[in-house]
Amino acid sequence: MTPMRLTELEFGSLLTYTPRGSSDKAINSRNVMLALKQEGFVEDSTGKTKLMSKWVAEKIQQKRQELPFTHFFQDNTVLVPIPKSSLIKQGSLWVPERIASALLEAGLGERVQKLITRVRPVQKAATSLPENRPWPRDHFNSLRVLETLKQPDEILLVDDVVTRGATLMGAANRLLESFPEATIRAFAVMRTISNSNQFEKLNDPCIGKITLRSFGDTLRRP
Amino acid sequence: MKLQRKSSKYSLEDLLGPLNDIEKKYAPKEIFISGALSIPLASPRAAIIGSRKASPEGLEAARSIAKTLVKKGTIIVSGLAEGIDTSAHETAIEEGGRTIAVLGTPLEKVYPKKNESLQEIIMTQHLAISQFPNGYPIQRKNFVIRNRLMALISDASIIIEAGNTSGSLHQGWEALRLGRPLFIWHSILKNSSITWPNKMLQYGAMILEHPEEVMEVLPTSRRVIKVIP
Repeated sequence: MTPMRLTELEFGSLLTYTPRGSSDKAINSRNVMLALKQEGFVEDSTGKTKLMSKWVAEKIQQKRQELPFTHFFQDNTVLVPIPKSSLIKQGSLWVPERIASALLEAGLGERVQKLITRVRPVQKAATSLPENRPWPRDHFNSLRVLETLKQPDEILLVDDVVTRGATLMGAANRLLESFPEATIRAFAVMRTISNSNQFEKLNDPCIGKITLRSFGDTLRRP
Repeated sequence: MKLQRKSSKYSLEDLLGPLNDIEKKYAPKEIFISGALSIPLASPRAAIIGSRKASPEGLEAARSIAKTLVKKGTIIVSGLAEGIDTSAHETAIEEGGRTIAVLGTPLEKVYPKKNESLQEIIMTQHLAISQFPNGYPIQRKNFVIRNRLMALISDASIIIEAGNTSGSLHQGWEALRLGRPLFIWHSILKNSSITWPNKMLQYGAMILEHPEEVMEVLPTSRRVIKVIP
């Protein structure tokens, strides 16, 4: 049995995308997702070109008062980027780390701390068939917490995209082992709307829950 | 052997749009281009690369993948070398698609010589790119540097066949560093004497079983996304 004690994780997300659907909005959401995953560029409403991570961070900062996940960003919040599903070489693009750094630069959170690392790769969820996608326990077993002298009280896991929340659930449980007193929440820039009929728009901030079910998988709502 | 085509000097940002700092690391300050494709380059662009001494199966795989991607409007990028590269370029042209050759030599040079007419077609009707100005000495390391540029120009890279010392591996690692999708054609994994695929798979490369899978990770817009809220 995997010792995952945390079974409910609060999460927030700013945008949505759908992997299917042929409407302009659906296609646009996929392009935004690809740009997010490659630290591309967006043109904002004023016509300015911005680096994706900075655009996201500024958007949150500007709308801070009205976003449902505002309370995630406390003065003592430690932003913890989620490792990639694969191993990573130094100097490579690590999108969650860039998002976390951009959030900090925009005045959100106290510091960025790379507290977790992937010690062996897991299958990439985005490109796997549903039955082959890694489970929360696979993430839990492949992640390690790095030693730190500064114990965090408020941890915010930062990721680019959340689909089922298996990575976030595995990572949160791994962190909870080392920091049992800490409050752990999660933020992902985009959440996946698998059923394209349910996809409405890109901008759709939400707060929700990822639940670890007794069967061992996760359920994300919304 | 020299080609007397007119070339123009551009920055990489002219060609691709803005770059993040990971992309800027090995990006040349200036590049030289010759051809007919519009600038900035349209997307999507996928590199099909591999051995000079490719097997008949490898050449057929390159053709099949290039054909599928061209049908979906993808620009085929390769390095104009013998074998897989040549197969990819030729198929793109035959299928009425667009192709980009990223050269390890200055534009005025032809390497290999047997690809002179192919280079001529690409330099007039498609696009040839080099980061080496005319007169620049031809050195082995230029081809490694070229492979990094090819990874940067391509939204995704596909290695069809490559031995343990192939130049294509430089492109593979660079694609992974950039966070770009890197595909390894499934047949490579059947060769147990080749060690690099398993390592690259640990660092995020993906096995390609069907050419259509590439389309799922390719953008359909230009570099700067206009957001529809």
